[in-house]
Amino acid sequence: MSSYSESDAVAKDFRDALEDIQTIGRPEISNLTIIARENIEHALAISSALVDHVKRAAPHKKLPPLYVLDSIAKNVGTPYTLFFSRKLYQTYMDAYAMVDMATRRKLEEMLKTWKEPVPGSIDTRPVFPPEVVRPIENALIKVRTTALQQDQERMRNQQQLFGRGRPVQGVPYRETLTPPGARPPSQTHAYHAQQPPIHHGNGIPYSQPTQPPSVGYQSQPPTLNTTSRSTPQPPSSGAFQPPHMGGYGLAQRGISIDALNDDIQRLTAAFKAQLGQTPHDPIIQTKLKALVDLQTILQTQNLPQEQLVLVKNQISDLAVNMRAPPAQTSTPVSLPNPVAVAPPPVAAPKVSLDSLFGSGALAAIMARNTTPSQAPTPQPPAAPVPIRSPPSQRIEPQKAAPAPADPLALMNMLRRAGMLPPATPATSTTPVPSIIPSTALPFPLPLSGITKSTQPAPPGTIESLTNDIVLKASSLKQFRPQLLPLLFEAQGLQCTQCGRRFPTNEEGKRRKTAHMDWHFRVNQRSNETEKRGLHRSWLVDEMDWINTRETIDKDHVVQAGDSDTAPGGSITKVPKTQYIPVPDDPVLAASVCPICQDKFETRWLDDAQEFVWADAIKVGDRIYHASCHREAFKDGGGTPMYTRNTPEPVLGKRKAEQDELVSLRGKLKVEAV
Amino acid sequence: MAPPKTKAATAAASSITSAPTTTQTLEPYWEYRFEVPHSSILTIKLVSGTAEKDGTELAPNTPYAFTATKSKINTWHGCTLEITAPSSGTYDAYTSEPNADETPMVSYLNLHFKLESLRAAAQRTAQMGPRVLVVGPPNAGKSSLVRTLTSWATRMGRQPLVVNTDSREGMLTLPGTLSAAVFATLIDATTDWGTLPSSGASAIPVKLPLAYYYGLPQSDDNPKLFKRMLGRLAIAATSRLAEDIDVKSAGMLIDTGGVPAGTRGAAYYDFVAHIVAEFSVNIVVVLGSERVGSEMQKRFSGQITSVGETVTVIGLDKSGGVMDRDEAFMQSIRESAIREYFFGNARMTLSPFTQQVDFAAVSIWRISEASSKTAADGGGITYDEGEVHTDMLEKAEPSMMLQNCVLAVACASVHDVPDNIRDANIMGFVYVADVDEKRRRLRILAPVSARLGDRPLLWGSWPEHMVNLLI
Repeated sequence: MSSYSESDAVAKDFRDALEDIQTIGRPEISNLTIIARENIEHALAISSALVDHVKRAAPHKKLPPLYVLDSIAKNVGTPYTLFFSRKLYQTYMDAYAMVDMATRRKLEEMLKTWKEPVPGSIDTRPVFPPEVVRPIENALIKVRTTALQQDQERMRNQQQLFGRGRPVQGVPYRETLTPPGARPPSQTHAYHAQQPPIHHGNGIPYSQPTQPPSVGYQSQPPTLNTTSRSTPQPPSSGAFQPPHMGGYGLAQRGISIDALNDDIQRLTAAFKAQLGQTPHDPIIQTKLKALVDLQTILQTQNLPQEQLVLVKNQISDLAVNMRAPPAQTSTPVSLPNPVAVAPPPVAAPKVSLDSLFGSGALAAIMARNTTPSQAPTPQPPAAPVPIRSPPSQRIEPQKAAPAPADPLALMNMLRRAGMLPPATPATSTTPVPSIIPSTALPFPLPLSGITKSTQPAPPGTIESLTNDIVLKASSLKQFRPQLLPLLFEAQGLQCTQCGRRFPTNEEGKRRKTAHMDWHFRVNQRSNETEKRGLHRSWLVDEMDWINTRETIDKDHVVQAGDSDTAPGGSITKVPKTQYIPVPDDPVLAASVCPICQDKFETRWLDDAQEFVWADAIKVGDRIYHASCHREAFKDGGGTPMYTRNTPEPVLGKRKAEQDELVSLRGKLKVEAV
Repeated sequence: MAPPKTKAATAAASSITSAPTTTQTLEPYWEYRFEVPHSSILTIKLVSGTAEKDGTELAPNTPYAFTATKSKINTWHGCTLEITAPSSGTYDAYTSEPNADETPMVSYLNLHFKLESLRAAAQRTAQMGPRVLVVGPPNAGKSSLVRTLTSWATRMGRQPLVVNTDSREGMLTLPGTLSAAVFATLIDATTDWGTLPSSGASAIPVKLPLAYYYGLPQSDDNPKLFKRMLGRLAIAATSRLAEDIDVKSAGMLIDTGGVPAGTRGAAYYDFVAHIVAEFSVNIVVVLGSERVGSEMQKRFSGQITSVGETVTVIGLDKSGGVMDRDEAFMQSIRESAIREYFFGNARMTLSPFTQQVDFAAVSIWRISEASSKTAADGGGITYDEGEVHTDMLEKAEPSMMLQNCVLAVACASVHDVPDNIRDANIMGFVYVADVDEKRRRLRILAPVSARLGDRPLLWGSWPEHMVNLLI
């Protein structure tokens, strides 16, 4: 047993335990903390399992693992804090971006405690070093300032729509969750005091903050208190409008096409320079072509404002990427004028992105998201880093078919060309910013209610719209043009690769991201599989068909291993994955797990585009349940979690006779060696 | 109804060698209809506007390559298409130019939205969504309508279960089968229904059909077996509906073979009645035939389904420009379907495996035609169930007769009783490339590299013999 696989095992166990947490309970958290302490030699594996879990958890399930992280950091400390620190910004911000307001509040409270020493400890150092925490704080301040402006704007515009106020649960973090380590009770209410009195019940939005704007809080070490949160922005400046409040917005006026053209020109020049160095790089060529196309569109068509915003954002993105690649391609590129690719300062009536989002509001976030490893020190938020705002495409029901050469289509082209981060999931082992927040970045969008009410959703349900249709030929012949948009505009914008439409709301964006990822994976996989020679698969039997559920762009985390049975009997290596393709050999296909004598579960794995046996592993020419096999192979010793004494409860379905089982195990061991 | 005006805009652009690209602008409701033989490829690209092919929306600026098909592109908003003619070979195309009052697409669209509202209601109340049966004479555009309704449903996020009861044409699988599949996402526009799973990755999600092999072209070739297969299919389809809530609310769309002319029609209506009963159909759409419509009205209107709903019968016009598909063309399509099953298509090349099998190692079951078939053909005697042979399958010895035949591989064991083999769904097909009677060996082409093991092979007469697949 190498310690590597032992670490894996511990991490796996830890992950399983994490997945079991349903409620945020003190016992579970303290349990996991203890496990982490006892397995400190596997700290790396455990911490990455935990961080990974946070990343993958559904938004409403992100808080518990974060509490675990918090608890381990406070109660165990190094080396966990070191490992967490590496990805703390990303983990925290990704989670923050996805959760609701109440959870955000809790996250903020948690963050605050990270700046302080562990209460009761003699160590005076903070839980996490300031250089780790501060970037997060800076980002949060930006987010909240923007959110606040939004709130004010909204209140100014309409009062009734946002009656709920912010759902402030006010549950102080320390009161419930952290294991009873060393926590003086005097701290308990520390955060209560700082809760802004904004929970006014139904219908009444909380009153406008009255504090004067606190200027320059960015430069001093910021604190997350009410003051900064309620800093009012002079309403006259910029009139920030969040993209999702489509119904209100007159704001995004006047992004100058000329300015955009300038940007593109500069970028084009930069790319050309790059091309000069690597003339045959197809990626750069594609990018260059895309840029030229984009420019053509800009010059020949009168695009509506919201599309301009998009174009602008994408250009800004490109600018960021433009700077980032040299490190990856290892070709030193001297840009003619790197500063020039940043959005140029725009004159007064025009709204620059900075004034749209507050100076550099998302900049810090985006900068870190796109170049996580290159900025060991926090990015100064005021730096002219280009900004990508949340995509603001929305469809006005009146607007007819998409413009001939839709800039969005181009965006997707760019994305396909690998210029934009969202659709390129991790191909390497380095962590990539979680996909969801990077496209559908919901800053500052905790306004699910608002989002819904302003969606271009059809007024009324499909049932009410169609109740004049009678199933009679005469009624069916009547053209009802009002229904047509339900199949087109109301379904959102088309995927440029396959034509499917995706709504422009949060859910739709999420689905589109998953969908683009799916395209990416399929393309990647088909390149791989073409080399091996393909063949038609057998169909499944009745029962499997009945139990099949269609998966749409499902994001499977497992990667298809090379567990295929290569003709000619090559060396079988034990696949890392937990599934194998359903064997083509009918005899093998009818086999059962030699250990538990149960059949294998056949599933259609969309990611692999083939039928697979879940939890199966092929050893030699026999197929086992991966879990059974693991059990059978565990040699005692090792970690306490995998004691051999109790395999039965895990499987709970052993039918084989005990002695038969034992002899089988003996055999397996022989084979294994 | 007034037949829509048609105009031969681009007729028979043959013998032009330089792959000319033409631009075709369609106004709203117009259709671009084309026929491409399997020897050539027509590429269509949507340049602007919106366009659909049987309800599947085309992606902008993406080339769609069509081969071995007769189909159409229609538009609701108007569009511009860029059409690249085959560099060799021929194709035939024209535009049909109806207006909103003339195009039957409007009726189809309204039907879709009505179904959609029924689905929404079904979802709300956790009931079964509508079960729609489409009947009509041959070449009325039945499959096209079912496909269009399917695509529109998936575009609204539904997952309808589509059932094909026409063994002349296969849905997803080869001809000779009755099949069912759930469609959750879009259908590959360049194919009829999409592609079957393979070991490779498909840019359009593959669909998983459940298929039973009937092995005969007409439903009255062996009525008893046909009904038996329908019954099996209905049980599986109903079970899927019961267990899969997404499918349940979306309901079923059922395609049928064309109503035969003459006296065989009466027998045909019996099958329709059987389908209506087995699948609890509550909406019968009659396409392009008043005569069939009145027959359906008489039989089903007001009838109560097994779940207590009233059956509705609707008559709709067939699409004005539906092309008659002659038998030779259909045969070439069947042939290319078989070819594609084993060898893939231009986008994905598949490698089937040949193997030598002893006569003794295979178990082949012949699907017998009913004796009433010949009687019905000859003297116009209506089919009577009593006369039909009771044995629907008989064990067959390998012989030269198998040469160039496509056999279905049953999802059963050779040790099963014949009834179980008959009732089993199929895993796929093999092709008999060669029969060596002297050495008593078969050369078999199978999609996957594996022994056939103990799977029984079903030998029907549909799809018909191929000339030779391996040339």
